[in-house]
Amino acid sequence: MRLLPARGGTRARTVTRLFAGHLARGLAMIWAVTTVSFVIIRNIPGNPVLGQYETLIQRGMAPDEAQRMTAALYGFMPTGSLWDQYTGYITALLHGDLGQSLSTPGTEVTTLIGAAAQWTVLPVLAGTLLSFLLGVTLGVYAGIKRSGRLGDVLSISGSLLHGVPQYVTGLLMMAIFATLWPIFPAGGPVDVEFVPGFNAGYLASLVHHATLPVLTYALASYGGWVLAMKSSVATVLGDDFILAAELRGMSRGLLFRYVARNAILPLFTILALSLGMLFGGAIFIERIFNYPGLGLLLVNSIGTRDYALMGGTFLVTTIAIIVANIAADLLYAVIDPRVRTGGAA
Amino acid sequence: MTIDLKGYGDDASTATLARAPGVRVRDLTVVYRTPLGELPALGGVSLTIEPGTITGIVGESGSGKSTLALSLLNAVQPPGRIASGSVEIDGLGDVVGLAGEELRRARGRHLGYVFQAAQNSLNPLKTVGKQVLDLGRSHGVADPRALLREARALLERMGLDGGRVLDSHQHQLSGGMRQRVGIMLALVLNAHLVILDEPTTALDMITQSTILRIVREVHQERGLTTLMVTHDIGVAAEVTDHLAVMYGGRVVEHGPTMRVLGAPSHPYTQGLIRAIPRLSGDPSEARALPGRPPTLGTLPVGGCVFRERCPERMAVCETVDPPRVTHGERTVACHAVEQAHDRAETAGYGPHRLDTANHRTGREELT
Repeated sequence: MRLLPARGGTRARTVTRLFAGHLARGLAMIWAVTTVSFVIIRNIPGNPVLGQYETLIQRGMAPDEAQRMTAALYGFMPTGSLWDQYTGYITALLHGDLGQSLSTPGTEVTTLIGAAAQWTVLPVLAGTLLSFLLGVTLGVYAGIKRSGRLGDVLSISGSLLHGVPQYVTGLLMMAIFATLWPIFPAGGPVDVEFVPGFNAGYLASLVHHATLPVLTYALASYGGWVLAMKSSVATVLGDDFILAAELRGMSRGLLFRYVARNAILPLFTILALSLGMLFGGAIFIERIFNYPGLGLLLVNSIGTRDYALMGGTFLVTTIAIIVANIAADLLYAVIDPRVRTGGAA
Repeated sequence: MTIDLKGYGDDASTATLARAPGVRVRDLTVVYRTPLGELPALGGVSLTIEPGTITGIVGESGSGKSTLALSLLNAVQPPGRIASGSVEIDGLGDVVGLAGEELRRARGRHLGYVFQAAQNSLNPLKTVGKQVLDLGRSHGVADPRALLREARALLERMGLDGGRVLDSHQHQLSGGMRQRVGIMLALVLNAHLVILDEPTTALDMITQSTILRIVREVHQERGLTTLMVTHDIGVAAEVTDHLAVMYGGRVVEHGPTMRVLGAPSHPYTQGLIRAIPRLSGDPSEARALPGRPPTLGTLPVGGCVFRERCPERMAVCETVDPPRVTHGERTVACHAVEQAHDRAETAGYGPHRLDTANHRTGREELT
């Protein structure tokens, strides 16, 4: 993986070394999370496999046959010890096999997750980027004009929006724009009468349905960006090098860029992390807008005690967050020269 | 004394400035807004700096020396502001009247400012070279490559590997190297009035002496007017040819460094000198000034600011702010010195009798 043109080789070498260390730690972390979630999932009260097995016996099936039948249906033996189940699970995982869904027999977990992911990733990505751009831009002004009225208005609106929970924002959006003024549809990802594909009607329907969820994501995180950027700008404005540049007669445009570039650094880490959360699914918002994304999938899999699906969803979320963490660290090494060369000389 | 300016595509105004400018500060008052109202950090400072001199500004913390230095760039930071007075700089006029683009262009091109070494005066995300180019862009330099060459030559003149430093980020440079980069950035646009604010504070002794030598040499070679703020009288004695002593937001004494330090007139300067332990002789002879320097809030209103700590305190000191009186090259603001001088004049002894005040305090003559 080549992130940057090597200048004297040091930059590329440092990034490679950083990457190797992160990769090892990331894999260890994924294994730990997988193990812990496996144990937790298996200890949730209510066992669907056992339930199926008992139903079959009650219908008069012989225990042997019932066991074979259940195993065929779910793809694994319900009788093994927890340890056997664990080793079997990990072995399958290493082969890229997440198993079959219990609640939708015969369907691969990967298929279900893949189908749900598109309904989560794109809207959350759009919402996050929208709120990041808006929040950072307004945050710069709130930071520079923090003693003026505009700064106050921005800060207060940021704090308010930051304090409102996502599901309240979602319900309000729904109440206002789908019920009071029915401008947008109340739920679902797309109108059924359109043929999926690259045609104007289908795409327009997609965007129409996605507007409220995306706006909800954006509004829910916008306040955090404004506040974070404002305090970061205020810190950088107090730094000596800004006064120094001003006293050297630096132009206003360049001075603004010095402030903005230094202030936005810490926010990139938060951005990378929140992009990792994309795959976690937005449980509340997807429920409110009846969006068949990862969040809804997770909720349903817990409801039906679908072990394989639960495990799969957790795994995808874990990997996404760990990858985002690594990406954030590497990104930092690329954009901040101090990290690249390892601190003060 | 004229330095080559060609090749930068300078505007015509620079040509008139291509020699050391003189500075005339007149009745400069700077106030800081506090919960107690506006308090004066500088109370009517007047100071004339001759072209081509290195002037030291010494004083205790809070005496207003950094505020004075910033005033020369009309850069007093809020909540402070210049309330009245003027700062005339040859070729620029009154900088107190400058604002906006005019002021910005004066900074950097005509007025160079060097920060304390411990302060991070560089953008941590950009190499030194890129920051030189940013500066060039801000000031409309026509030939950026010539500017980089000049930056490199300056760095090499100061004993650094110019190419390497230009390619470095701030965190890759030591304190002494950063300070030389700071001096380079103050000079690279060919400013001829250079203001250094505590340039050697927080540096080790050897680096300190290197920086001071560089300041002196560059001052001569480029024909500058240099102003150096320091709390270290030893540093001032080593580098400067003129010295202004500040106390409580006023310049209480100003004159040639050797004469001010050798035969201090103002009781405050005398006290400062007496407080320095001697290398030869009994260190216990060093005597600290009694009392403490005033802060913005405790500054006495009316009368002499130094009277609370002054051994020569008289009735008139309580009510009348001592006027600056100039005799030859020296300027002092003290009622006692004034009266001693008047007595000497009427007795027909001449100005050297000024020193009687010092003999009375039993201070050893340094000259």
